[in-house]
Amino acid sequence: MARVSILTRMAATRTAEFRDWFDERTGASETARAALAEPIRGGARWTYVFGSGLAFLAALQALTGIALSIYYVPSSDHAHASVVFIQKAVPAGALLRGLHHYGASAMIVLIVMHLTQVFLFGAYKAKRELVWVTGVVMLLVILAFAFTGYLLPWDQAAYFGTKVGTSIAGEVPVIGEIQRRIMLGGTDLTTLTLSRFFTAHILLFPLALLVMIATHILLFRRAGAAGPYHRRDDHRVDSFYPKQMLMDAVFMLILFVALAVLSTKWPAELGPQADPTSDYLARPPWYFLPLFQLLKYFPGKLSLIPTVLLPGALFTTLLLLPFADRRAERHPLRRPIATGMLALILAGAAGLIVLSKYEDRTNKEFSVKIKEQEEAARAFMTAKFQPQVIGQAIAAMPAAGAPPAAFSENCAMCHGDRGEGNEVGPALTGITEKPGRAPEDLLKLLKDSRAYGLKDPMPESFELAEDEKRQIVEWLKKLK
Amino acid sequence: MNFQDKTTNLTDAPEASTGTTLSARRRSFLGVLIGFITSGIAVPLGLAVGRFTIGPALSDSNAEQWVGAGPLTGIPEGRPVKRIVTISQEVGWGSFTEPGSVWVIRNSEAITVFSAVCPHLGCSINASAKGFICPCHQSSWNSAGVKTGGPTPRDMDVLEHRIENDALLVKYQAFKQGIAQKEKV
Repeated sequence: MARVSILTRMAATRTAEFRDWFDERTGASETARAALAEPIRGGARWTYVFGSGLAFLAALQALTGIALSIYYVPSSDHAHASVVFIQKAVPAGALLRGLHHYGASAMIVLIVMHLTQVFLFGAYKAKRELVWVTGVVMLLVILAFAFTGYLLPWDQAAYFGTKVGTSIAGEVPVIGEIQRRIMLGGTDLTTLTLSRFFTAHILLFPLALLVMIATHILLFRRAGAAGPYHRRDDHRVDSFYPKQMLMDAVFMLILFVALAVLSTKWPAELGPQADPTSDYLARPPWYFLPLFQLLKYFPGKLSLIPTVLLPGALFTTLLLLPFADRRAERHPLRRPIATGMLALILAGAAGLIVLSKYEDRTNKEFSVKIKEQEEAARAFMTAKFQPQVIGQAIAAMPAAGAPPAAFSENCAMCHGDRGEGNEVGPALTGITEKPGRAPEDLLKLLKDSRAYGLKDPMPESFELAEDEKRQIVEWLKKLK
Repeated sequence: MNFQDKTTNLTDAPEASTGTTLSARRRSFLGVLIGFITSGIAVPLGLAVGRFTIGPALSDSNAEQWVGAGPLTGIPEGRPVKRIVTISQEVGWGSFTEPGSVWVIRNSEAITVFSAVCPHLGCSINASAKGFICPCHQSSWNSAGVKTGGPTPRDMDVLEHRIENDALLVKYQAFKQGIAQKEKV
């Protein structure tokens, strides 16, 4: 026993010695102590959890984002396939993609709540102006994250949503067209757009956000917490550790569990691959719906009001707010104009979201089309994972040889140059061995496909000569 | 210098001067609670990210397949020829068709097919005047694929083959590198 206790004591001494050695060189525990001892005027409060919650979400987005980038391919011909792979085949892929997808929305909700709280508490006033300004800039950065991230899955919603978004950017007077082209990397939404959105999303914006977060926290620490507007509790000061830290931790846990439940119960949506030829009805993600709805009320040249003027005015006001409103008064009810404006903006935005949803639901044409698109997305989500076929056409070549000209002219558009199939039509490999598709069936089918139960877009009848049909069927027999 | 009397325990952070005072016991209890909560986030998240990152890395190769390696004619006596084969392989999000190469050599009627992948560190083996050589580290083999020099741990890997309608078919597969035995990956 005595031996053991000597050993334990020796180990304890060694640990303490190492800690001191490390501390002398890094000052780690001094820094940690200073961080934890941050005084919170008025005491720890649940209303203060939003900032830490945002920092947590930013870290979660970074972690899940790095993970997703392991499999993601930023190229228009493979991006969708790689996201399908993540969603359906990689272990924990649906969960991590869900956390990233819902985490993005949560960040927008939370930053609005954070700004609202700071606004109501009048905490943007004297000596905290720059804390507020950096916060507003971060709102812009987060929206830029959302806009660029939305395109990456390259599904129908992503493609058409971004198409509309970049077109709106093109309507800005004078710089519009140049701005649009720089965003797109050309005149159109292509694989080059995807590449630059990807780089902005994973390198440029994270770097910007990191710098902004660091500045925001440093400035905040320097100014100190403002405390509640009523100042009743000003005599009470808690240190950050342990009470505020515990509240922050509980809030992070709630956020994490909520995001995990959302991702599991309602997996992040992924529709079929972008098809530029389709008549997809594009709707922006919920956080851009207020602007989308406003756009309906300002047709033609007036559309600049909701797309440029209003957002511009809103952000300019937010940025200049602490310099314009210099009264010391912090109580929200004694600042009726400011509080009223905030209430108006928040209620207006919420109202516009509800209105746009309501209009889509009650408009017969839209609601049918949207339902159809949702059905297609749901069917796509539940379908089994199929790897994207690359270069298979070459493999099918040797046995069957080149297809007859009649096939290339009439069938290849939907069934592929060598009958390998594409997004429109199924592969024809081995078709003559399938029931009801014997060579003589195929000859009749090419006269009247409806009799064989085929539907659109397989044409009802073909204008093919008898020997052309025979050539096609002969070739199909060899296609194995 | 003596640091022994320095307190470095984080739970002993100084109380804010006018703050509500918590007893040391309560402070350390809350500290433990914070630890539990953050672990409640970090552990499941870490497991999910870990599993996701490993992903398909530990599943076996699915490159093993019978592939056509061209006609029998054109394989000369005693001199190795390189044949390009087409390997179809499911890799992650795609089903890829990519070229691979094998060495074929005929000795009287017997045909031998070698993998062109060096058993040492995986470079592509080349034919030489005396048989085969790996350009990366100068491993060499005679025309029967028996090791004659260099760092290679074993003879060249023989691939199974069969002949159908005067065409050569090869069972393409990968073997573990750097060990003396020929072992499937």
